[in-house]
Amino acid sequence: MWRLECVPHKLQRQCSSSLEDFKHKRREYEKALRKARKDQQLISKRLIRDILEQEEVSGNSESLSKEQADELFQRIHHSGAEKVIALRSVRKALRQKEAQQVFVRLNSFVHVLVGVFSGSNAACQLEAAYCLLELSQSDEASIALACLPATPYLLTFLSGQSPKFTELCLNILGNLAAEKQAVRKQLLAQGVIPSLALCLQSPHVAVVEAAGYALSQLLQGKESSEATVRAVLESSLPSHLLRLLEGTSTSGIGTMIECAWCLHYLVCSNVDNGLLMAQGAAAKCSSLLLELGGVVLKDPAIPQGLQLLISPLLRCLGNLSASHGQECRAYLKDGRILVALCAFVCHFFQQYSFMARESLWVLNNLTAEDAELCSTCIHLNLISVLIYYLPFAKGINVMVLRLLCNIAEKGPEYCKKINQQEVLQAVCATLIMADPEVVQLSLELLWMIVSSSCQVSSSLINKEGLSALEALQYNKDKEIRVRAAYILDHIFKPVSPCI
Amino acid sequence: MLQPQLISFLIEPDHSDKAVSLFPVLPVGKHEGICFGEEGAEDSDASPFPFVPQTFRLSKEDELFEDGDIQRHLYLQDAEADYASDVDRPKISEFKCHIAGCCQLFDSLEEYEHHYNSLHRNVCSHCKRSFPSAHLLDIHLSEWHDSLFQILSEKQLMYQCLVEGCAVKFKTYNDRKDHLIKVHSYPADFRFGKPNKSKSKNRGKTPVQREAPMELSEPDQAQTSELMILEPMETSTHETNIITSTTEKRTLQMEQNKPHYSYKVPTTICFGKGSVRGFHGRKKK
Repeated sequence: MWRLECVPHKLQRQCSSSLEDFKHKRREYEKALRKARKDQQLISKRLIRDILEQEEVSGNSESLSKEQADELFQRIHHSGAEKVIALRSVRKALRQKEAQQVFVRLNSFVHVLVGVFSGSNAACQLEAAYCLLELSQSDEASIALACLPATPYLLTFLSGQSPKFTELCLNILGNLAAEKQAVRKQLLAQGVIPSLALCLQSPHVAVVEAAGYALSQLLQGKESSEATVRAVLESSLPSHLLRLLEGTSTSGIGTMIECAWCLHYLVCSNVDNGLLMAQGAAAKCSSLLLELGGVVLKDPAIPQGLQLLISPLLRCLGNLSASHGQECRAYLKDGRILVALCAFVCHFFQQYSFMARESLWVLNNLTAEDAELCSTCIHLNLISVLIYYLPFAKGINVMVLRLLCNIAEKGPEYCKKINQQEVLQAVCATLIMADPEVVQLSLELLWMIVSSSCQVSSSLINKEGLSALEALQYNKDKEIRVRAAYILDHIFKPVSPCI
Repeated sequence: MLQPQLISFLIEPDHSDKAVSLFPVLPVGKHEGICFGEEGAEDSDASPFPFVPQTFRLSKEDELFEDGDIQRHLYLQDAEADYASDVDRPKISEFKCHIAGCCQLFDSLEEYEHHYNSLHRNVCSHCKRSFPSAHLLDIHLSEWHDSLFQILSEKQLMYQCLVEGCAVKFKTYNDRKDHLIKVHSYPADFRFGKPNKSKSKNRGKTPVQREAPMELSEPDQAQTSELMILEPMETSTHETNIITSTTEKRTLQMEQNKPHYSYKVPTTICFGKGSVRGFHGRKKK
């Protein structure tokens, strides 16, 4: 099931405000997210509401008074059908942030709710679970954490029989785990790992996806400790994750996305990547990336959001190739991985340039210490594809230059091949870019190409390149001045006959 | 943008010929020392190029992952469809003039090249003025920085026509100016003057105008005429310009010369359609 296809476009609900207004709010929201991430305060919780609920939320703008909340709360104490109806009303009311504050402050509200949740009435249990879900989704920590007393029950119910109920519990747990390290520690102590392992084996796709989500939140928190990661690594969870990352599996893209992000957090933590390698993480990531590369090239109407699956896989492969380079590359003796990575760069560049950046980073890690893969890049003519991206900022041209330097560094034969792709012309333009890292790498590449050729190397550089080098001799950065002068000296120096 | 053969290479079900080991591995070798013989080998010890290929292990919080994490967040919040469009568009790198003290930024290579060629290319090493062409720089050097010029000009025709290809020479700069107006159809208000960092080496100026056609400096009312050899009658607004002897003029001008780069292009100069009049591309980071 592909969740994104079911959710109505929120833009439709906001058609009353102007487009400019909407765009402005969007930009502000994005800025806030970036700031939160920089401060390591980005807590990404799942927000689950069905269509009807969302429309109700937007329509109801009246805030709930304490008296009204109290009245609703009192009705929960009744029995029978009234209890269920009361709980439903509370659930509806809890969609409003202000109402959440009001309810949570009511004396023993959470206690009673947890009591109902852990009671024997299935219908009431479900409604109480929805209430807890609303609270857990709050971005106010105090409100979300009010649900903590429910955790032992949440975990117990994970081995229950109702898939819908299990799914709810998993989402609540995931939202709570996202909050803080103390919660995660508590969950670990209460046995979350074996419960999650069980859920990942469920025949119900929604349960598996929710379990993946819960695990991802356990692993991604700011202070997610080595102990948590180690406990997960030592369990059967990694093998389940890898099993679910199968292109042909019936578990759906939503599940694969959650599993891929879990794997990414495990690899990133660098606690024991050897263990993951032994279980086939690199092999799995690369084979799935190959498949996805094919999907991206073949099918113009690829599912929206495929980048959310590809990105964590790229990150896993990138980090595994940094920590276990040789071993990793042993699994990659298939030239197609290089093509797949270039396919991601090309396909996602316009709309999601971060995908191009991450793909180029992986290409850098793969080619840094591997002459075979560098040769393959040359033979597959991937260099002409990559040169196209040299003008682009935000880390793109830096990575492309690193990649070209990796290849050129292997030797004069490699430089000759690079030069046949008219790289020099492009590099003469990058010499005058504002980013000093771009200038430094351009000088490195230029030097390698120029010093590899026995022909008159000044003829390799066009007039613009020469004037760029001359200008660089006046750069305020001493290293740049020295290197530019060094190249100029050498290309105009009389050359002794080559052996 | 991948070539069709690459696409089929990836998509074709038969993978037997895709193994990396089937591609010939180019020989790995050293760079320096090959081209430059023994000298080069010694130099390679002192090579200022430290590049070594390296792999990068990135932590969860790395900046490279920021955009992807934002996407993950939006996905979980079911907001991805709303926010997808302008979150992460590619952006062309800015170009920068690397001449120390200049540091202007440009959005395109053309803008940069225009700037560099206009301001930094034909620069007089004596007085630091820049000129739009090598030809004008040459004329400037001979007329301003050649000590024999004034002496010779008393005896022979020394002031060259500014138009390339026109070999006519003149006794005085005013004669040249007249020639430029009459024969080459230069406008009468063409800036023949040449203040501090002027492009043109024309001397003389029309009385009411600011100095310097194609000057690269912002004409400063008080000092514009410093470096101009003027006819006495033309010095109405610039007393400092009344200089009778050429050598005195020249000395005074040289003393008053304060090279600096300002970037105003006079209205009489056109660099083609659509080019900026001033250097509005200037941006501060």
